[in-house]
Amino acid sequence: MSAGRKSRIGSLVRIVLILFAAFVMLVPIAWIFLAAFKTHVDVYQLKLFFTPTLGNFGTVFEAPFFLGVKLLNSTVVALVTVLLAIPVATMAAYSFSRFRLRGETAMLVAILATQFVPAVVIVLPFFVMFRDLGFLDTRVGLVLVNLAIVMPFAIWMIKGFIDGIPMDTEEAAMVDGSSRLQVIRNIVLPMAAPGILTAGIFCFIIAWNEFLFALILTNKHAVTLPIGLALFKAEEGDLWNLLSAAGIIIMVPMFILALVIRKYFVQGMTMGAVR
Amino acid sequence: MAEITLRNLTKRWGDVVGVDDQSLHIRDREFLVLLGPSGCGKTTTMRMIAGLEEPTAGEIWIGDRMVNHDLPKDRDVAMVFQNYGLYPHMSIFENIAYPLRVRQVPADQIRPRVEDAARKVELTDLLDRRPRALSGGQRQRVALARAIVRTPKVFLMDEPLSNLDAKLRVTMRAELKHLSRELATTTVYVTHDQIEAMTLADRVAVMRDGIIQQLGTPDEIYNDPANLFVAGFIGSPAMNLVAGSIHGGEFVADGGTRLTQVAVNDRDAVILGVRADDIRISEPGEGRIDVPIYAFENTGDSTLLTAQWDSQRIIARGDRHLRKDQNDVVSITLNPEHLYFFDPRSGSRLRG
Repeated sequence: MSAGRKSRIGSLVRIVLILFAAFVMLVPIAWIFLAAFKTHVDVYQLKLFFTPTLGNFGTVFEAPFFLGVKLLNSTVVALVTVLLAIPVATMAAYSFSRFRLRGETAMLVAILATQFVPAVVIVLPFFVMFRDLGFLDTRVGLVLVNLAIVMPFAIWMIKGFIDGIPMDTEEAAMVDGSSRLQVIRNIVLPMAAPGILTAGIFCFIIAWNEFLFALILTNKHAVTLPIGLALFKAEEGDLWNLLSAAGIIIMVPMFILALVIRKYFVQGMTMGAVR
Repeated sequence: MAEITLRNLTKRWGDVVGVDDQSLHIRDREFLVLLGPSGCGKTTTMRMIAGLEEPTAGEIWIGDRMVNHDLPKDRDVAMVFQNYGLYPHMSIFENIAYPLRVRQVPADQIRPRVEDAARKVELTDLLDRRPRALSGGQRQRVALARAIVRTPKVFLMDEPLSNLDAKLRVTMRAELKHLSRELATTTVYVTHDQIEAMTLADRVAVMRDGIIQQLGTPDEIYNDPANLFVAGFIGSPAMNLVAGSIHGGEFVADGGTRLTQVAVNDRDAVILGVRADDIRISEPGEGRIDVPIYAFENTGDSTLLTAQWDSQRIIARGDRHLRKDQNDVVSITLNPEHLYFFDPRSGSRLRG
């Protein structure tokens, strides 16, 4: 009896703590969500009940904000980054996983080590280099930067998945009559698909949210959504209602992606975690 | 039509020798078993035939073609792996059909051939399932069906039964034997299980440390072992090996017991080999020497009696109705027609 009551109290405390943590985390999001549908005047009155308006979502796409361009920039940069990174990372991961390469460990560590360097340290050299190469304020430049950021991550993650495919399976396919490329296409890719998909979405999120490099390396044409948020300032102060509407536009694709990949993501993380 | 010829085949990884300059001729339609303890080079030999390992030196011929530089897919061999190597993302049907699809067999031939192969291994009802939904024995059948579906020149089987439980192994062994006679295709089969080797093989190659110790029919391997290793490796219980010497036509075990009369020239150091089945057990005084029983085991279909004198032990197989107890005294007699003598230093067989 007492044990039962004890565990009931325990679970009650746990639920309260979880609710509290959720409250702390969700309040800003809820506030953004509400503010996005308020008028500029309403934002400064902490009213829970107000007449919602969709006007903010229209305004952000109009002059002088032109959020549409930033949305396009973000989408193109993130998509192109993923579409380039994943095939190359998959090839690299397969090679690391299946072939004995000279200096293999050193190369793997070197790839990982690029992640140890803080972004602020290299952003200025990047600036100088891009200025000389003419990549400043271009989407190509941003794609290159994002590739550098996501590739090590993608290689390591996909390698974990390919390591998990038994050698027997690949050898069976080879004896059955497949060339190495057919083995990769027919056996390795389908079996590693959840991992590759997870890595792809991870890379997309990283590229989508990337702030520091985009802030320094763009100023007009290639500005992405996170940087675009800084535009919502006016003489009357921060335009919170517009900021929030733009924030929703940034977050919604991430929410949808998260829902889609939840299943694969758990599978991906646990598979990588075993080894 | 395919014979396999290995000529001076060698595999080394740095200083580690996997297979050491071995030559072997496998006849057309023969079922050859490579038998030996783990690490003896049997699997390496098979993987070199399949093209999954590259030989350090030597030649591999399948039929009239040297295949050293051919990719596995071009050697026209089929292989069954220890862990089956099934494709988990494909249905059983697609698993079996894969070798046909990847070799671009016309689509209308695929279904009948897959169904035919599935029928041979009794899988017809499971073709829609995924490998995950199958038991170990069923998975093994899928691997077999995938191998036989395209009538290759050579079958390679790498310990195909070792992941099954003991009972299933016996059933699958009989099925394999039946299937192999039906298909009559050259087969190389790797195992460390001597019962599998004895029951399945036309010929057995016993390997140790990368060297083939003896090549012969199961009968020859069992009844005419070429050296001490083969004698000790084949048979369950293992052959009794007694150290001693030969003086005046009598084998004297170390410690002085005159065990049996022999027709071999006198020698100071010799090892006598005798199988448990070739020792007669009788009441004290009726046989050659009287010995106390160290352990008595009843296996159901026979009894195993371990006798001890001085520091020597010898195991004899008795009638299944024999009943004795530890420390009882029995008399044992070695059958002089089935004794083997070995040189203790080289391990080689001494004849005549």
